[in-house]
Amino acid sequence: MSSAAEKAFEELKETVGRVTVDNPKMQAKNVDVFYGDKQAIFDVTCDIGKNEVIAMIGPSGCGKSTFLRCMNRMNDTIPSCRVGGDILLEGDSLYSSSVDPVMLRARVGMVFQKPNPFAKSIYDNVAYGPRIHGLANNRAELDDIVESSLQRAGLFDEVKDRLNAPGTSLSGGQQQRLCIARTIAVNPEVILMDEPCSALDPIATARIEELIDELRENYAIAIVTHSMQQAARVSQRTAYFHLGKLVEVGETKTIFTNPTHELTENYITGRFG
Amino acid sequence: MSVTNLILVTLLLTFLYFVFGRQKAFAVAKTSGGLQGMHSLPSHYGAYVAVWCALPALAIIVGWKLFEPTVIDSMLASSIPDSVHELGEKSVALYRNEINNAVDSNNIASLTDPVKQATATRLASLQNSAMLGLFVLVLCTVIALGVFALKRITPDMTARHRVESVVRSFLFISATIAILTTVGIVLSVLFESLRFFSQVNLIDFVTGLNWSPQTAIRADQVGSTGAFGAIPLFTGTLLISFIAMLVAVPFGLMSAIYLAEYATPRVRAIVKPLLEMLAGIPTVVYGVFAALTVAPLIKDIGSAVGLSVASESALAAGLVMGIMIIPFVSSLSDDVITAVPQSMRDGSFGLGATHSETIRKVVIPAALPGIVGGILLAVSRAIGETMIVVMAAGLAANLTANPLEAVTTVTVQIVTLLTGDQEFDSTKTLAAFALGLMLFVITLVLNVIALYVVRRYREQYE
Amino acid sequence: MSNNTTEKVRASLQKRYFKEKVFRSIGVVAIVASLSFLVVLLGSIIYKGYPAFKASYIQLDVTLTEETLDVSADAEDSELRRANYLGAIRTALRERFPEVTKRGDKRNLYRLISSGAEYALSDFMMEDRSRFGQTHSLWLLADDEADALLKRNKDLTKPIRTGENAKNKDALITRLNTDQLGWLQSFKEAGETDVRLASTFFTNGDSREAEQAGIRAALIGSAYTLLITFVLSFPIAVAAAIYLEEFAPQNKFTDIVEVNINNLAAVPSIVFGLLGLAVFINYLQLPRSAPVVGGIVLSLMTLPTIIISSRAALKAVPPSIREAARGLGASPVQVVTHHVLPLAMPGILTGTIIGLAQALGETAPLLMIGMVAFIVDIPNSVTDPATVLPVQVFLWADAPERAFTERTSGAILVLLAFLVVMNLTAVLLRKKFERRW
Repeated sequence: MSSAAEKAFEELKETVGRVTVDNPKMQAKNVDVFYGDKQAIFDVTCDIGKNEVIAMIGPSGCGKSTFLRCMNRMNDTIPSCRVGGDILLEGDSLYSSSVDPVMLRARVGMVFQKPNPFAKSIYDNVAYGPRIHGLANNRAELDDIVESSLQRAGLFDEVKDRLNAPGTSLSGGQQQRLCIARTIAVNPEVILMDEPCSALDPIATARIEELIDELRENYAIAIVTHSMQQAARVSQRTAYFHLGKLVEVGETKTIFTNPTHELTENYITGRFG
Repeated sequence: MSVTNLILVTLLLTFLYFVFGRQKAFAVAKTSGGLQGMHSLPSHYGAYVAVWCALPALAIIVGWKLFEPTVIDSMLASSIPDSVHELGEKSVALYRNEINNAVDSNNIASLTDPVKQATATRLASLQNSAMLGLFVLVLCTVIALGVFALKRITPDMTARHRVESVVRSFLFISATIAILTTVGIVLSVLFESLRFFSQVNLIDFVTGLNWSPQTAIRADQVGSTGAFGAIPLFTGTLLISFIAMLVAVPFGLMSAIYLAEYATPRVRAIVKPLLEMLAGIPTVVYGVFAALTVAPLIKDIGSAVGLSVASESALAAGLVMGIMIIPFVSSLSDDVITAVPQSMRDGSFGLGATHSETIRKVVIPAALPGIVGGILLAVSRAIGETMIVVMAAGLAANLTANPLEAVTTVTVQIVTLLTGDQEFDSTKTLAAFALGLMLFVITLVLNVIALYVVRRYREQYE
Repeated sequence: MSNNTTEKVRASLQKRYFKEKVFRSIGVVAIVASLSFLVVLLGSIIYKGYPAFKASYIQLDVTLTEETLDVSADAEDSELRRANYLGAIRTALRERFPEVTKRGDKRNLYRLISSGAEYALSDFMMEDRSRFGQTHSLWLLADDEADALLKRNKDLTKPIRTGENAKNKDALITRLNTDQLGWLQSFKEAGETDVRLASTFFTNGDSREAEQAGIRAALIGSAYTLLITFVLSFPIAVAAAIYLEEFAPQNKFTDIVEVNINNLAAVPSIVFGLLGLAVFINYLQLPRSAPVVGGIVLSLMTLPTIIISSRAALKAVPPSIREAARGLGASPVQVVTHHVLPLAMPGILTGTIIGLAQALGETAPLLMIGMVAFIVDIPNSVTDPATVLPVQVFLWADAPERAFTERTSGAILVLLAFLVVMNLTAVLLRKKFERRW
């Protein structure tokens, strides 16, 4: 980082750009995250709108994944992790004592960096969520959920003849679509995606990106990505993170063509990252 | 004069030759342009000389000791009176035994019979001269070979290569000892078993329902063939192992799950070694515990509720064996569970599963092959466990599935048949080897399957 | 549609959290139960075993004269040594209780003192011949039944648990009769009984008399056996590990050796006993019951354990060190002996100690090669007949006398103490030299 950029980062007090939206699904307010004594996220405020895809970009270690994991309380599984500030889902705080993480994660689903199908059949992978949450009343309903989820994930035609094959027998791209199908089978309101394409080849990536665009109709989606091109392709808004701070948020087009902050510009133009 | 002393003297000489060799190397170096001109370091030359001394000498000692008894036997045969020879091989052996004991305990005078005394004196003198001969031979060899090797030290001699090839052969031979052990086990057990099966039909052995080898003590007794139907032993072994697994699997597995998934690092650091302490306790201690504490307790409880419990019930042995196997199951399962990738757990949590749902429906199914492998290893251990059953299970070969009755096991019978002063070639002792063969084969099959399953499982997540 | 999900999830929550709680508590129960097994096991052994380290003595005024000993004052040493010390003790007992006259009663009275007391008395006499002709006040070892009551400080006036008192929890469980209890009580009231640290437990060999039985012979036997085990298994195992880890080519033979070692580690120990019996005793005619055979068998048994842990230790040495040494022109053997082996040594030693601890506790294979003999004499070499500590435990556990139960547990405590020391050493060694690369 050049010394000028360093200075700009030091001086950064407030996120540049409009952090709120008119029709928010989730709202993060002044979020701080600590791992033990180390602070990973500094005072991040940002909304996620209904039916929009927001991309979170930034150099590695900038805290974008950590921030994402706060939004369905996946960080609860890490004992030393502490979250300050507040995150609201439809106006209700996620971290209030009345909110149940199980309940929350059913509403805010997550797709991970590495495809992580369970050691079960394709069918059972998709049926897992509906089963544990008791979403289907009988086998026929469950079949319907599985089929429609696989269809919406664009995987059904490829696997319909081998629903009983193990999930791990699929290719990497198919596995990731299986994980997406597994997530939408629970019918969440928000889907968080943590670099969903980083382990995939370009063709599989294109397929997933198409899928994300289709899913936008029904869900609010937050996607962390390493690839600026991907962010530009799939998102409506983009948030740029740097060393745990949210530097700039704005319309994707604006961010990529005319960034306001110096750091954002440096990153977009490839001076570091 | 004893072999131990001889070996010590040989080793001392070897060390001296090492020093000589090293010095010779320095001396040679001085006359031929310094140490840089030498192929190897001085200590390599020393080691080269030492190897030349020690290896042949030790080979001679081992070879001599292997053949000495046979040679002395044949030389002594002439001085054993014909009257004894006429009585047959057995009495010759008896006679020899008496002589041997007298000579070994250095107490020839205790023999009253002058003929025996004469034989004993001859044996003692033969042994003495054999020892003397060996001493002289070994010392001469060591000294001669040492001088020979010293002479060969020149700047061009590749001492290091030669010494290192000896070292590498030693390493290789050591690695093959494991194979030799297996071969030794298979041959010894198989060989004696074949002799057994020449006396008792294999089919009868494997399918017979009646086990009473005690009748076969003497060949001229009524019912001298005994009954060698091994089914009651197998069912007894299975019954006790089954009870043991009923204890070990739930306790071991649940402990492992708790330690791997729920416990804080602190609790884990305390509880894990404590559980492993259970594994470090010798089996004979479990045997004592089973026989003196658990068995009477079960009997008392049984009589309190009006059940008749044998004082050596399968239940007592099985329970205690189960306790012994808990840490075995738990540490194997713990390894397997922690090997399940975190991403799989994240996937489940991300869908809103509770922790126990994640464990039951995602982690355990994923870890299942490894857990099954671990349980198979535990079963093999239960089947082969000896001391607990020897002390707490009975000798009566009952064919029953009632855990309150006494049953016997394969290992108990092996121990019973082979301890005490039995003649080695009787059908009884051979039967023990046949049982040993069965035990070896069964546990081997279980182990091979289990190790294969566990290895495949590991590779999957590496 | 999304509301539908929320409703359904909410409906299922309570039940699911209940299941979560139950599952978690099952885990806690399993651990608590497993640990309490450990506590009960150790507790019962300590409770039963600690009296083994105590012995009861009874004080008697023993007169050592020509009359009581049946020898003259100027007898040869050898003659004096074999004098009638038993008679002297019996005379002393009769004098202590002159009211006992019937033959049967006298015999019962004599039974209060251990049969080993006469040898102790003989030793006492031989220490100083000038003791002849005098009366000495001596502490003599009590017999096991008396000993059991005295060292637990039981109230000797209580009834015996037989006949009408069979259900009386308060009554004494003993083989002594009321007369004997009375005499014992009389000793006790006169301050003529004493409970001391039982040095005989550590200095004696086995004995048919529980109060004289000790673990010395078994300890020495264990030491010899373990020595042989170490001398054989350590170099061979380390060499095998080095070969497999550093030199073995990738081929079928190496695979076979590796699979073989893993399987050997899981072969039941008793099978090794069969091997020892068939090969070393019957074929090679090595002496039965001798530590040398026991050591060979146990070293074959511990080889896989040591090989596996040595390989792990060698593997933990980073390849960069090998490359650095090789880059300086060291031969493969030099790389190993100068660099890899010294770095791996703590790990190898830890594995060796753990393997030896296993061997120390092993019993079954030693039964096969005849190390179950009744051994009174302390073995003097590795070829003398001997027994080992765990086998001694096995033998005593089988003995019918109640006093042997405490000896059994006492011997177990000694065995466990050795194991704890060995394992602690291993742990400390690992802690001290543990290196993170």
